[in-house]
Amino acid sequence: MSKVETMLKQREFRTFLFLILLFVIVGIVNTDFLSLGNIHNVLKSSLLYIVLAIGMTFVLLTGNIDISVGGVLGLSAAVSGIILRDGGSIILAVFIAILIGIIIGLINGLGVTKLKISSFIMTLGMLGILRVIQVIYTDGKWIENLPIAFKQLSQINILGINALAIIVIVAVILIQLFLSNGNKGRYFAAIGDNEDGAILLGIPVKRYKTYSFIISSVCASIAGLIFASQIGFISTTAGLGIEMTVIAATVLGGVSLVGGLGSIVGASIGAIIMTSIISALVFMKVPAFWNDAISGSLLIIIVVTDALLARKSSNQAKKERLNARVIQKEV
Amino acid sequence: MLAKIPKWNLMLGIILIAEIIIFGLINPRFLNITILLNSFNDFIGIAIIAFFVTFVVITGGIDISGGSIIGLTSVVIGILSQVIGINIWVSIILAILVGGLCGLLNGILIAYGRVQAMVITLGGMLLYSGVAIVLVGFSGVSTYEGISGFPQAFTNLAYGKLLGIPHSVLLFFIMFAIAFVLLYWTRYGRYIYLTGINQHAAEYAGIHTRKIIASTYVLSGLSAGVAGVMLTSYLGSARADFGAEYLMPILTVVVLGGTLITGGKGGVVGTALASIIVGFLQIGLQMGGVSTQYIGLATGLLLIISAAFLGISADFKSNIKRIVSPQKNSV
Repeated sequence: MSKVETMLKQREFRTFLFLILLFVIVGIVNTDFLSLGNIHNVLKSSLLYIVLAIGMTFVLLTGNIDISVGGVLGLSAAVSGIILRDGGSIILAVFIAILIGIIIGLINGLGVTKLKISSFIMTLGMLGILRVIQVIYTDGKWIENLPIAFKQLSQINILGINALAIIVIVAVILIQLFLSNGNKGRYFAAIGDNEDGAILLGIPVKRYKTYSFIISSVCASIAGLIFASQIGFISTTAGLGIEMTVIAATVLGGVSLVGGLGSIVGASIGAIIMTSIISALVFMKVPAFWNDAISGSLLIIIVVTDALLARKSSNQAKKERLNARVIQKEV
Repeated sequence: MLAKIPKWNLMLGIILIAEIIIFGLINPRFLNITILLNSFNDFIGIAIIAFFVTFVVITGGIDISGGSIIGLTSVVIGILSQVIGINIWVSIILAILVGGLCGLLNGILIAYGRVQAMVITLGGMLLYSGVAIVLVGFSGVSTYEGISGFPQAFTNLAYGKLLGIPHSVLLFFIMFAIAFVLLYWTRYGRYIYLTGINQHAAEYAGIHTRKIIASTYVLSGLSAGVAGVMLTSYLGSARADFGAEYLMPILTVVVLGGTLITGGKGGVVGTALASIIVGFLQIGLQMGGVSTQYIGLATGLLLIISAAFLGISADFKSNIKRIVSPQKNSV
């Protein structure tokens, strides 16, 4: 019994229940939504957001935010796309994309830790700069004619399941284990929970904050590669506004924007929710112009309800603690 | 006299003068006063929203929904006056009120629901632009063309002149005066600062901090409504995607104006100067023959550099003090 209760108290579990609820409700309206093929499709199209959400969670855990992921995604997709189009090898393209991620993450991290710029401002400015660099680099043109071999990378299936999806899911589980059980993995949440405390414990706070930005940017460049491979071409607006969807997804998954709280699993479920909402609207034959309004109001409703629920339960816990103390004294 | 002006504002003033001189040397046309005054139309929307987002940021919050409220008010004006056929001036007032309502929703959820400002305004951003798209979808107007055919009197709002001064310049100074008086000459302004410095202390001192916080979002929403009216009049049609790219410029101007993103410090004088600096920077670069693509680069760099300067300056000052008067430390 208590096991079920603790499970229900877990934020990730509540989010997961919401995801299932979403599928059941839409499934009642249109049973095709529950077909294995569609679930597989939703999973495939949410991979991009899951990868971005993994990186974002690292940054959010330390109490910072990374708005520049859309820019990193666009730029690394464009650069590696041009390499591939001009006949470069896939390995070189992947290498360059990850290098871009590391460099931009390092700049973001150093700006936040050394220059003491608020992460919101630092990455917002970086986003503006990256967008311009992308437009200049591509001359404002779309990058098309990517090699077929590269496009097929995202289509490989193992036992009927997309290979990329398997890799990402395994990665999510491994990273989650690292974050919750690994010695160094806990540093990220510790920094966000109480920075002064983390310094006193001897955690190299600045270094780990910089790491979090690098991880986030590298995830964004990997997402850029996935984007290029799945879509097959790179428009000048690739990744435009994606950062807001990713932040919304991580928040839906229970990652706190103040830092210290949240998990990769939750963030990934949040990412799947964001994509399945859009897919659900298609299946319910709602016109596409409803997308933003519905995602926005769902985000507000879920976050506010959750905040109210959390406050209620913490008040309840406080009362119980007080009562216990009073009873102890009486005894 | 000079000592009374805050150092950062003085610095901004110097930057502004330097900017005018440099651009004037590059292209003498820049010094043409009519061109400079007419250029206010290009950044008036950013400036008026930024004045009141400054209020929000001083209380320790953030409002990123301003840009999408512009789109919503624009669509509301278009639908009320062109599709339903209400008098244009009544439609304008109703549209501004809609902006205020959006702000009210933000404010209530943030102040009373005690949810992170960033999350709520992010959801709001999706929601308001979503509602605008839904309204356009229902009115049967093409999303790309927008609603046009406004009466001459309405177009005159942006293009008209009073005593030779363009309306946009007048509006800039009127909104600035309102923000200035509210922030510096009233008890309300004092409370905004106190709330931002320490909300708990302000609450104990008998200030209704929640009301103060909620009201700043309402003001920000109303100002976004006014900006929406001006932009619709300036561009001659009502579209849902107006203001979508304003997020970065608004925050750039607020931060460049010297307002601390953590709250408690800042002011609208800096915001006003910064908005003129950024506005002139864009026009100057265009006149100097720099392609519009690079302007994002300039604003992004300006944002990061100014934030770095503001971040370092506190440490820098204490270091200088220590060097200048070392005997105090040795005692």
